[in-house]
Amino acid sequence: MSPETKLFRQIHPSWIQGGRVTSQAFKPTPKDEKQLSVDDGGQITPPDSFQHFTEVLKCPSCGVMAVTHAECSEINLDVIPDPKPYPAHTLIDFSKLGTTQIEKHAKVLRSKAQERDWLYQSQAPVQPRGQA
Amino acid sequence: MSNPLLFLTPRLVGDRFEGHAIPLEMLKDLAALEALIKATAIWCYKEATHRKRQPRGFSDQICLKITEIKDGSAEAQIQLYNYTDQLIPESAQYCEKSRELIIGAINAATHDEDITSFLPPSLLIHFDRLGRNLQENEWIEFDPKNLTRKAILNQITRHKLLLASAQEEISEKLIQKGMIPAADQDNETFELQLSTGRKVKVFFSAQHRKTILDAFIEYDQGIRVSVEGIGRYDKKGNLRHIDSVEQLNILDPNDISTRLDEFRDLSNGWLGEGKGLAPNGAGLDWLDEGFQTLYPDDLPLPYLYPTAEGGIQAEWTVNEIETSLEINLENHRGVWHSLNMKTDIENSKKINLANNDGWQELVLSIKQIIGGGK
Repeated sequence: MSPETKLFRQIHPSWIQGGRVTSQAFKPTPKDEKQLSVDDGGQITPPDSFQHFTEVLKCPSCGVMAVTHAECSEINLDVIPDPKPYPAHTLIDFSKLGTTQIEKHAKVLRSKAQERDWLYQSQAPVQPRGQA
Repeated sequence: MSNPLLFLTPRLVGDRFEGHAIPLEMLKDLAALEALIKATAIWCYKEATHRKRQPRGFSDQICLKITEIKDGSAEAQIQLYNYTDQLIPESAQYCEKSRELIIGAINAATHDEDITSFLPPSLLIHFDRLGRNLQENEWIEFDPKNLTRKAILNQITRHKLLLASAQEEISEKLIQKGMIPAADQDNETFELQLSTGRKVKVFFSAQHRKTILDAFIEYDQGIRVSVEGIGRYDKKGNLRHIDSVEQLNILDPNDISTRLDEFRDLSNGWLGEGKGLAPNGAGLDWLDEGFQTLYPDDLPLPYLYPTAEGGIQAEWTVNEIETSLEINLENHRGVWHSLNMKTDIENSKKINLANNDGWQELVLSIKQIIGGGK
């Protein structure tokens, strides 16, 4: 995995408003044990990542955003391949961080991903216009 | 013209009628009452005389007027005016009979009895307009002196009366939000796309044309409107179309109520793989109320997202500062975190939104970040 490798993150339809994604999309949920699931962009394309998530894993998503391996490294987040569920599956490791630090890192990753914009978007209904 | 006779003293009950006042809106309902009284009088005449037509000018012989509003909470004194030389014209006699049948039908609806033994289905259609403007917790007592067996018209009894009518559709006041993907200026109609994706036809009048066109042009930007008007429903309660528009407004893109409503249909597991607790409705109502009453209009509205734990996260992006407030809908506590993306300065704190002080703290914190503070 190179520093430029994109790490794909699926965005839940309720986690986007007016085109703005929530920082929660880049923060592990309590059930994730401080490991954020992403797909290794060196092994899968954004449309295939979306298709796998929605059709194989049967989870809701309205599209794919990404951060890079380098952007994680800059804020001391380890990126760990986890091919057990499927080959491209990768984890961003938040386990060394406390609650406030997780919030901060999620905001940084959200900002990077939002700036990069969508890598893939499903044909979802039009979303309400945002302010920002 | 002889002296008017006290004909009916309907008592309107509810907060809006305190201080023996009747909102102008309710005059539409009272006009519908007059139409029902006269139509029923004509029906009574035909039934009694076995004639197909009423005498010429039958309805014009008399007129119903409100002459006084007594306290109680508002008791309208409706008098019957006679415009003939006769002491009691024929139409007035049938109006008396009509009044008894209308009160009987409302009484039957109140006590779950046979409504059509008083009025035929064709006349019950008048309840489409009569009572439409009554709000929840409001009602009209049509026979207020009868304390043992009240004849109450509220939205429940109105629905019973309409379900017994010959009408296939029921009209209701509504407020509906959505987007405008199509508009027909010639026919003065537009389509309102609801959050479910379903489209409903709306009939509008000229004063709303510009707002409709503005919303139509910005449809692809997701601009939403709020439509207040009269909706027409089938007897199963499905909205068929919107008959008329009283108020039409373009919503703020981050309108709080609209956004929170989108979360009401979430069920547990909404995030997938068994993750994601659904936010509870009472909590969403509380948060909506808080933002409506305690959050100033001149501050930027937050973006709102459900959290995996069943709460709501509010987020603001202002002046390089990314802010989040994770709100617990059960205990009304919030966790604030802001981060200046340029300076890396953070601020984290707990805010108790269960009281007004907490909301004031939230407002001050937002004002600080707008002002360039931390």
